Amino acid sequence: MTPAAPLLELDRVSKRFGRVVVAESLSLAVQAGDAVGMVGPNGAGKSSLFSVISGDLSPNTGEVLLDGRAVTRLDASARCRLGIGRTYQVPRSFGHMTVFENVLVAAHRGAGLAAGAARELTVAVLDETGLRPDANRPALRLGLLQRKRLELARALATRPRLLMLDEVAAGLTDPEVRQLVGVIQAVRERGVAVIWVEHVVRALVGVVDRLICLAGGRFISDGTPEEVLASPAVREVFLGTDSGGLPRAGFAEHGEQGGRPPSDGDSSS
Amino acid sequence: MSVRVTRSRRPATWSGLASALVFVALLSLPYLVFANVTSLLVNLFILLVLATMWNLLAGYAGLVSVGQQAYLGLGAYTVLVLAQNGVNPFLAIPVAIAFCAVAALPISLLVFRLRNEYFAIGTWVVAEAFQLITVRFPQLGGGTGASLPGLGGFDPALRQAFTYWAALAVLAATLLAAYLLLRSRLGLDLTAIRDDEVGARSVGVQPARAKRIVYLIAAAGAGGAGALIIISQLNVQAASVFSVQWSAYMIFVAVIGGVGTIEGPILGTILFFTLQQSLAERGAWYLIIVGTVAVLVAMYAPRGLWGAISDRFDLRLFPTGYWLHPQGSSPGGLLARLLRRER
Repeated sequence: MTPAAPLLELDRVSKRFGRVVVAESLSLAVQAGDAVGMVGPNGAGKSSLFSVISGDLSPNTGEVLLDGRAVTRLDASARCRLGIGRTYQVPRSFGHMTVFENVLVAAHRGAGLAAGAARELTVAVLDETGLRPDANRPALRLGLLQRKRLELARALATRPRLLMLDEVAAGLTDPEVRQLVGVIQAVRERGVAVIWVEHVVRALVGVVDRLICLAGGRFISDGTPEEVLASPAVREVFLGTDSGGLPRAGFAEHGEQGGRPPSDGDSSS
Repeated sequence: MSVRVTRSRRPATWSGLASALVFVALLSLPYLVFANVTSLLVNLFILLVLATMWNLLAGYAGLVSVGQQAYLGLGAYTVLVLAQNGVNPFLAIPVAIAFCAVAALPISLLVFRLRNEYFAIGTWVVAEAFQLITVRFPQLGGGTGASLPGLGGFDPALRQAFTYWAALAVLAATLLAAYLLLRSRLGLDLTAIRDDEVGARSVGVQPARAKRIVYLIAAAGAGGAGALIIISQLNVQAASVFSVQWSAYMIFVAVIGGVGTIEGPILGTILFFTLQQSLAERGAWYLIIVGTVAVLVAMYAPRGLWGAISDRFDLRLFPTGYWLHPQGSSPGGLLARLLRRER
C-alpha cells in the first residue's frame, strides 16, 4: 500500500453469469474527488460492475481495492462503512419506514453516527435533496421520482467517499435534472468521488470530467466526455444497437431516454 | 438549525401511564382473587412471553422458527437441575434466561446456515434433538418426567402468589425488552432488513448481526417461559415441554393478533385465551372454531387484528418510529397539529 493509492481500484475484474460475460478483466482507478461518468448500451454490464464494486456481487476473478486495500471479500455492509455509497436503478426503499427513518438508518449505520448527530445529518440531507416535506411519509407512498431522490439521500447519509449513482436521472424532467446536477455538484465539491451511470448523457456532462463507455463487459473508451462521445467505437456501439440511440452532449430539447425501450436489460443483473 | 424529532406524531404518555396502571393492578391481584385465577393468568403470561418473542423473531427479523420450544425446554430443565442442587427455583429463573441466551449462540451458528423453510425445519430438528438428548438422562426424569424439588417448604397460597409475580416479572421484562429493542437502532435495522435486505446492506446495516441478536433475545425469553412452566406445574416432562405444539400456539397468537407490532401478540393472546377458556368443554368444536378464526383473520385482516385496528384508527400504543416536526412547530399545539395533517 502506497500513500498515493487511488481511492478505488479495479484490478482485472471479471464477472460471468453462465456464458454471459458482464465484466471482462476490467481495470480502473478512481482518485479521491474524481467524477466519472459511465455510459453503455443496455446489458453492457454497468449495473453489474456497480454491484461488484459495492459488494452485492463477487467477481469471478480480480480484486476490488479501496485505498489500496483489497475489499473483494468484504460484504456490501462493510464496504459501505468504509466509504462506498451507492444508489440502485430500481429503488430499494424501506417501504414501511418513513423517509426520515430510511435516511436515519444510513446515518446511523453507514456514517456510524450517534443519535443526535445522525438526526442532524438526516435533516441536512433531506433539505439538500428536497425531501424534507415528505419526511414523515412512508416510503411506499412515494412516487418513483421521490423514491429516486430517496436513494440519493440515503446514499449521501452514509457519508460516502465514493458515491456510485445508478441512473438517478432517468425519467426526470429537465428542471429536475438541473436540480439533481446541482446536488451532485455540491457533493463533488465536498471532495466526494462520483461514478455515475446514466443514459441521460446531458445530465452527466454537466458534472463529470471523465467518461467511460462500457460495452460487452469491456471499457471501449475512456477519456474526457468530448473525446469519448466523438470516438468512432462509441458511436458504433450506440448506432449498432437500437437500445440507447446516440448520446449527445449538452442539453437537447428532449433527452434520448424517450427512445429507450421500457425494459432495461442490465437492471436485473 | 431547529430540528425537533420525536418518537411519534402524538405523545404516547397516556398509553405508558395506562400500561403502568395495568401493571400495578396485576401486581395486586393475588390479594384480590383466588389462586385459580392467578394460575390461569400465569399460563396467559407464559403464552404472551412466547408470542412476543416469536413476533420479534418472525415479524421483525424474518426468522420463522418452529423450534423455540427448544429453549422452552432448556429453560425448564435448567431450573430443574439448579433446584436439584439446592438453588431456589425462583432464583433459578434469571439463570435459566441467561443460560438460554448463551446456548443459543452456538445453535445460531448452526441454524443460520439455513434459509426460510429450511431454517424453520432446522429449528424444529434442534428442538427434537434437545428432547431426545434429555430423555437419555435418568437424573432428568428420562421420558417420564421429573418433579421440581425445593418448593415443598412454601405454603401453597404463597407459592402460587410468588409464581404469579415471577410470571408477571418475566412478562413485564419481555414486553419492555421488545419495546426498547424496537425503539433502538437495532429496531430500525430490523425494519430496514425486513423491507429490503440488499438495500439495508448498502447503507451499512449488518443483517446477520441484527438477526443473531434477536435470536439470542428470543431464546432468552423462551427460556424464561420454560422456567415459569416448570415452576407453575411443579414438574416437567420432555415430550410436553419440547412439543412443537408450543410453536403452533405462538404462531397462532402472533398471526391473529398481528405480526410485526408489539400490540398484536397482546391482543392475540387475550383472544386465544378467551376462546380456549370458553370453548374448553366443547371438545372438537374448540379446534374447529379456533381454526375458523385463524382462516377468517388470514382472509380479512392479513396484518392481524391489531394491524386492522391500527390501520383504521392510525393508532399506535407503543410507538417505535420517528416523527420530524415542521420547523417552528409548537409541541402538540392545535394549529401545528392541523398543519401537520396537511401532508
